[in-house]
Amino acid sequence: MESLGYLLNGFETALTWTNLLYCLIGVTFGMFIGVLPGLGPTAGTALLLPLTFALEPVSAIIMLAGIYYGSMYGGTITSVLINTPGEAASLITCLDGYPLAKQGRAGAALGIAGIGSFIGGIISIIGLVLIGPFLAKQALKFGPPEFFALVILGLSLLLGLMGKSLLKGMIGALFGLSLAFVGLDQSSGIVRFGFGQIELMKGIDFISIAMGMFGLSELFLSAEASLRGKAPEPPKVTGLLPKKEEWGPSMKAIGRGSVLGFIIGLIPGTNSVIPTILSYSMEKKLSKNPSRFGKGALEGVAGPETANNSYCGGALIPLFTLGIPSSPTVAVLLGAFIMHGLTPGPTLFQKNPDLVWGIIASMFIGNAILLIMNLPMANLWARITMVPFKLLFPIIIMVTIVGTYSLNNSMFDVGAMLVFGILGYLFKKAEIPLAPIILTFVLGSLLEKTLLQSLTIFQGSFLGFFTRPISGTILVIAILSLVFSIVSSVRNKRIITEDVEM
Amino acid sequence: MKNISVYMAVFFLLFSGVMFWESLSMSYYSEYGPGPGLLPLWVSGIIFVLSAVYLVTAFKKDIISFARVLPKGEGLVNVLVCMGSLVLFMVLVPFTGFLIGSTITLFILFSRGYKWYWSLGFSASVAFIIFWVFGVLLQVPLPVNDLGW
Repeated sequence: MESLGYLLNGFETALTWTNLLYCLIGVTFGMFIGVLPGLGPTAGTALLLPLTFALEPVSAIIMLAGIYYGSMYGGTITSVLINTPGEAASLITCLDGYPLAKQGRAGAALGIAGIGSFIGGIISIIGLVLIGPFLAKQALKFGPPEFFALVILGLSLLLGLMGKSLLKGMIGALFGLSLAFVGLDQSSGIVRFGFGQIELMKGIDFISIAMGMFGLSELFLSAEASLRGKAPEPPKVTGLLPKKEEWGPSMKAIGRGSVLGFIIGLIPGTNSVIPTILSYSMEKKLSKNPSRFGKGALEGVAGPETANNSYCGGALIPLFTLGIPSSPTVAVLLGAFIMHGLTPGPTLFQKNPDLVWGIIASMFIGNAILLIMNLPMANLWARITMVPFKLLFPIIIMVTIVGTYSLNNSMFDVGAMLVFGILGYLFKKAEIPLAPIILTFVLGSLLEKTLLQSLTIFQGSFLGFFTRPISGTILVIAILSLVFSIVSSVRNKRIITEDVEM
Repeated sequence: MKNISVYMAVFFLLFSGVMFWESLSMSYYSEYGPGPGLLPLWVSGIIFVLSAVYLVTAFKKDIISFARVLPKGEGLVNVLVCMGSLVLFMVLVPFTGFLIGSTITLFILFSRGYKWYWSLGFSASVAFIIFWVFGVLLQVPLPVNDLGW
């Protein structure tokens, strides 16, 4: 009941005209980047981050969170209409969405995806309301060893799932961690890896890395294709509701997708593609006629689309309660919190209730706006797929340059972005996953701070972590997960998901 | 030696080697507890070892040829133009100011897909809009010339 009172206060914050406007801008931009192939939620969120400097923290995060869950809706449209996922989480939707469009049922596919996304989004936010404050209270009992163990668990799960090669995943993660060491060390006051450069004294800016690795590198990859062709015209969307007999199986798929997406979102180190794959295979297994899948089964669209939206709400729980991002986009959101002087973690619910409940309330509103945007306006969004890339990419590059420059009014940050853009492009070519780099970079200072504090408590003994029940248990799970990944990798049986959410 | 994995492994070896060397100059442990050199030393050391393993696998099984992954012809030119335009922007802007520098950069990018007169129109319009939104509306102190643009 206490949560309900806070939530009502949150609505008071979210329903101001200013915050409604930023919520609308966020979800619209999210839809836009979801529709556009080649630009994902991580790059989109990073792109708008510098523009939020002048905003109130609550408005800024409402807008950036809107981009995150808005892009999940947008990606569906291109998957169904032109068989091209706008973002990775909608890849699985192509399997049945596009065949439905070819049968003249694009409207039904988009309709059920919109309804499922809305239900999944709302259920996961309710889960966030119910579980978030409880988890935050428990996390208040955590000390540095427990937080260190949690970070290690998140990273070990991430490494287990990311990329084709565990070796490259580990190198990537440690590379990201190394970048976090650059600059003034808070505990000793010395400048590390500054190489005499004044600009490096404050460290490498998170935005330069995120914009370079996720934004620029994606643009370079997209630019490899010919810029002279014309985009295909999408089919017209008519009849947004499924047939009478399709409602039952679709709603069951939506229910299962909601629960699945939410639970996977709670696990640090996962990404939005995993629940969609699991949901699709679950629906196929549970179906009375699995042969329909791949030829236009509506449950094959409803389940995964619900799961990826439900995942978004679940993934915010580790961020709000523990300060640990579970995916690259959530890592950018963490960067936004820090940039606005806020510290996500167990104290967030206590110290900034207006902010956190305002953001949660805005997600209810944002999902409602997205439902309206998706169902009656599907044809309008479909037209956006026709905007040629050759017109968009110079504009995006220039906005990226100015956004990065505006961080410190320095060309050094633009240069750093270019360097990380080229590195990101080459890393992708060499199949080195980028997600571990950004996650370890963001978590680097927390990891180092908690490790050093813990070692001071344990008088330098690493075994001290195993003398505390919570940190010991979490570290054992992390070690087991890593060992499992190594064994699976050796046997070539590891579940592989490529870099996603870019 | 047209294998991208080899170059990546060498890059990580050099990167971790430099970091390891630098870490040695920081204190590993102080009288109050662990020093600023502790974690960088360990992390760079582990990267070095993993990179060495990566280098070995790059020769044996992780062979990714340049021909397979790098674009050719028009695609390669597009990518190089994108990268080059950013360098050009950074070089030009301190002398020309934002409006001229960004118009030239945008013109080069637009001209990959449009005829020169369209490119010129698009680049001048986009540069002006971005200058107005960021410089005037959002009050970002963009780099300008003596005339204020």
